[in-house]
Amino acid sequence: MIGYYFRLGFHQLRRAPVLTLLIVLTLAVGVAASMSTLTVLYVMSGDPIPQKSERLLTPQINNYPVDGGPQDGNLPTLLSWTDVRNLREDGRGQRRSGLYGISGILYPERDGLKNFFVDGVAVDADFFAMMDAPFREGRGWSAAEDSAEARVAVLGTQLARKLFGEGPAVGQEVRVDEQRYRVVGVLDRFSPVPKFYRLDGSSRAGAGEDELFIPLSTAIAIEKDVDGTVSCFQQTGPGFQGRLASECVWLRYWVELGSASERSDYEAYLQAYVAEQKTQGRLPRADARAIARDVREWLVEVGVVDDDVRLQFWLAFGFLFVCLVNTVGLLLAKFTARAADVGVRRALGATRGQIFLQYLSEAAALGLAGSVVGIAGVFGLLRLLASQSPDLEAYAQMDAVMLVTTVLVSVLAAILAGLLPTWRATRVLPAVQLKTQ
Amino acid sequence: MLQMDEVQKIYRTDLVQTYALRSLSLRVAEGEFVAVTGPSGSGKTTFLNIAGLLETFDGGRYQLDGEDVSRLSDTARSRLRNIKIGFIFQSFNLIPDLDVYDNVDVPLRYRGMDGGERRRRILAALERVGLASRLRHLPSQLSGGQQQRVAIARALAGSPRILFADEPTGNLDSLMAREVMGMLEEINAQGTTIVMVTHDAELARRVHRNIHIMDGQVSDLRQPLAA
Amino acid sequence: MEIRPILSALSRNRTGALLIATQVALTLAIISNAASVIRDRLALSERPSGVTDEASLLTARPILNARTDLAALIRADLAGLAALPGVRAVTVTNQLPMGRSGWSLTFSAGREESAVSTNASYTFDGGGLLETLGLRLIEGRRFEAAEVRELDPEQSAEPPREALVTAALARHLFRDEGPWVGRVFYSGNGPQAGELRIVGVVERLTTPWGLAGEEDAYTVIVPQRFLNSYNYYVMRVEPGAEAAVRTAIDEVLTRNEPDRVNTGIYSVQELRERRYRNEKSVAWLLVSVTVFLLLVTASGIVGMASLWVNLRRKQIGVRRALGATRADILRYFLTENLLITSGGVLAGVLAARLLNQLLVRELSVPALPWDFLAVGVACLFVLGLAAALGPALRASRLSPALATRSV
Repeated sequence: MIGYYFRLGFHQLRRAPVLTLLIVLTLAVGVAASMSTLTVLYVMSGDPIPQKSERLLTPQINNYPVDGGPQDGNLPTLLSWTDVRNLREDGRGQRRSGLYGISGILYPERDGLKNFFVDGVAVDADFFAMMDAPFREGRGWSAAEDSAEARVAVLGTQLARKLFGEGPAVGQEVRVDEQRYRVVGVLDRFSPVPKFYRLDGSSRAGAGEDELFIPLSTAIAIEKDVDGTVSCFQQTGPGFQGRLASECVWLRYWVELGSASERSDYEAYLQAYVAEQKTQGRLPRADARAIARDVREWLVEVGVVDDDVRLQFWLAFGFLFVCLVNTVGLLLAKFTARAADVGVRRALGATRGQIFLQYLSEAAALGLAGSVVGIAGVFGLLRLLASQSPDLEAYAQMDAVMLVTTVLVSVLAAILAGLLPTWRATRVLPAVQLKTQ
Repeated sequence: MLQMDEVQKIYRTDLVQTYALRSLSLRVAEGEFVAVTGPSGSGKTTFLNIAGLLETFDGGRYQLDGEDVSRLSDTARSRLRNIKIGFIFQSFNLIPDLDVYDNVDVPLRYRGMDGGERRRRILAALERVGLASRLRHLPSQLSGGQQQRVAIARALAGSPRILFADEPTGNLDSLMAREVMGMLEEINAQGTTIVMVTHDAELARRVHRNIHIMDGQVSDLRQPLAA
Repeated sequence: MEIRPILSALSRNRTGALLIATQVALTLAIISNAASVIRDRLALSERPSGVTDEASLLTARPILNARTDLAALIRADLAGLAALPGVRAVTVTNQLPMGRSGWSLTFSAGREESAVSTNASYTFDGGGLLETLGLRLIEGRRFEAAEVRELDPEQSAEPPREALVTAALARHLFRDEGPWVGRVFYSGNGPQAGELRIVGVVERLTTPWGLAGEEDAYTVIVPQRFLNSYNYYVMRVEPGAEAAVRTAIDEVLTRNEPDRVNTGIYSVQELRERRYRNEKSVAWLLVSVTVFLLLVTASGIVGMASLWVNLRRKQIGVRRALGATRADILRYFLTENLLITSGGVLAGVLAARLLNQLLVRELSVPALPWDFLAVGVACLFVLGLAAALGPALRASRLSPALATRSV
């Protein structure tokens, strides 16, 4: 029977084409606006590493001086070298890595290629396994190479292709600034969205792939300058050594636990670490403490989803709501104009329930048509959003889940909008309508 | 009161022209009660529409209450309908969203009367048709006869010079029909000219004079025929 | 005119009227808030930076990490750039308004814990910064060329002793209207905070980040060339010479040091566009939401008004028969629409305020000014009337003869 109603419904779409078109367009516009912003929000607040996001923790330690720095109770979003070095040496957890952003000028040895600027990150050997980074060629460096401060590097796919074409990159050398590195591996499209491991709350960034990975111990040894936020709250000594010795914060640290249940142990360890540091005269604030956040908590802490995105999202859903109200009106007009049809069907023995189902199916059919146009609109709007705002580019991506959601939202919206007009249609009395014919 | 000379009405479509009225000439004197009869499709309704200034016509002359209405603008014709003409329809044509009082009020508002005068007239007219106690009822809450009486009150409230009735008893049972007919005769007795379109032979016999229309012309027969 | 009968007729056909009123109310609530956000974002992106004629101020940032004699290279670059035809003035600095990255330090009015303290942008005058940027000095003096020191971060972290500040920062630190020259403030806010003496006050110079509030104009300028490779060269260019100077800049920089990478030449105006791209995109998104919303609402009103006219064809004929002129019918439908719109607008004003309170609390959206609401109200009245005009005109053209037709 439902099949019959749907056939009737689609047949009705062709009648009163202007009204049908208006309803479909209204639904489509509402769905396109709301679903494109929902997609951005969904990708932004998505879990970039769902298989282990609860086991990946990043600590925050309050190392502010007593009378400097913020007094609002918030912890710094970055760590000092002293803390990162200590945490690495303590070796807690299954895997661990400190990291900081680097950049430099790459001197290609290939003819016709000019010097160019590369962004990268200095990490520990465990980083690649921790982040489930896939290798296209070669592998990461070893812990031994870490402690040897080896001049080795892992390249991103694009950088490798740019430098060495389709040929093998492993074993080749790259020169960045005054340093030469031996390539040990090439990553295969490693770009978690959001790029949670580097986010520090200073920008919405976290888009784009890192192209160059070198050992953190090497970077420290060669005094590779920081490309990223450095926050200091006291005078420091000169140069890179001055910064290493200072309480300036500029690094991240990630630890992977064997299971999420080990988290309380790790947090206890952090508290003990704070107490131990205090005995050595560090972490002077009375309320100095350390906490650990998992990936999802970290994304909330750094505010990946900013107020503008939320504003767009809520306005878009307000817009969808107005479209819904509008659709109710248009459906009312469409169904009222066919009161006679209901009268005849009722006279021929259709029950109210059957009429209800028939008209609701028609509304659903309209919703389906609206979703098709709406999906095209979502793609268009996402492309527009990405081109308007490069920060959003990584987030303006549609996936299967959102595609299905879009269809569901559209059909559901149409059915919701159809309830009142349908109910009114079932109120038509069979006799009255036949008489005036 | 009403004088038509060789009035023509042609309905045109892309392909054909149909004469609704060929050449209609007739006179109705002041104070007369005239029945217009004729078979379906004879042009009765067209005659009524033209006589009641609801439609324009294509040829001939038409004088209403001494005024030539052939060349009047739409607005002027509206004014004339409002002031000089009252209508009673077969299906009553009360406005379903308005109660009895507001229905009678409709033509008076278009005349731009002040509130006190309107109120006086509405109450008087409803008094006259015996519905003064039903002011706030909606049409759907009234019987057919009561609805037609409200329609009569609406027609009378504006003190028209001439009343057009289109099958006024067509939707009523015989008891109510007699009641409405009695009311029309009473109104006529007080001086209002009435032109009634009907195919009810019995009703037609009760009036001063019958005009029979056939094929868009007044038929030569002086005496009414049984329909 | 006949408002009471229209109202009583409306009260018997509530559904459609309520739908339209709801739509009008929601639309008003959304567009007035959207408009206020649009204005806020556009105003943010158009704040003056303190730099005069931003389009003719070009910036270049050549990067080189190799250890060379940076002091000599900077001197050579400045000389080469200054010699270019069309270049009026040139300077070197660490950051620019709206450049999106740069130095920020904490400054305070005293060393005690209770002293006023704030973050401010920390800008280096490598010689001639005020002249090149066109900053207005409102008090004291600018730095002389001889005062500018070359600071190698690998050798020394010695802080400067004298500074220029913006009026906004001085006002914030000292909580008075000056004069500020000669007064002392501190970099940092602890017992070991470095002392800085104000030698001049600049009317305005904004931060690289384009912060939301008055803090955006908190800037401290100190006379130094910082010897790292992330400096900006800034050139004031004669009108019309801009395109030629752009290519010439690259040539000079490449000639002086072929290994470095120039990250692009941007005028301050272009920096402004890049910095405020997100604000602009939010503004345009909201503009399109507003336009679509108005279109949808208008289509809703047209649809509903057409339906009403169709459902009341007979009634319109009867009214015409009873003496209504075309103008009367037109007026009837327009009045009806006006009444519905008014209801919606009334609810919409309330909804707009409520929505605004919510947005202010949750999403740091500016408070909704009354004049925006008033414009929104006027917009919806005009929209309502314009949308209802078509169906109302069609109604007025219906023939009075409909009254005698049986269907």
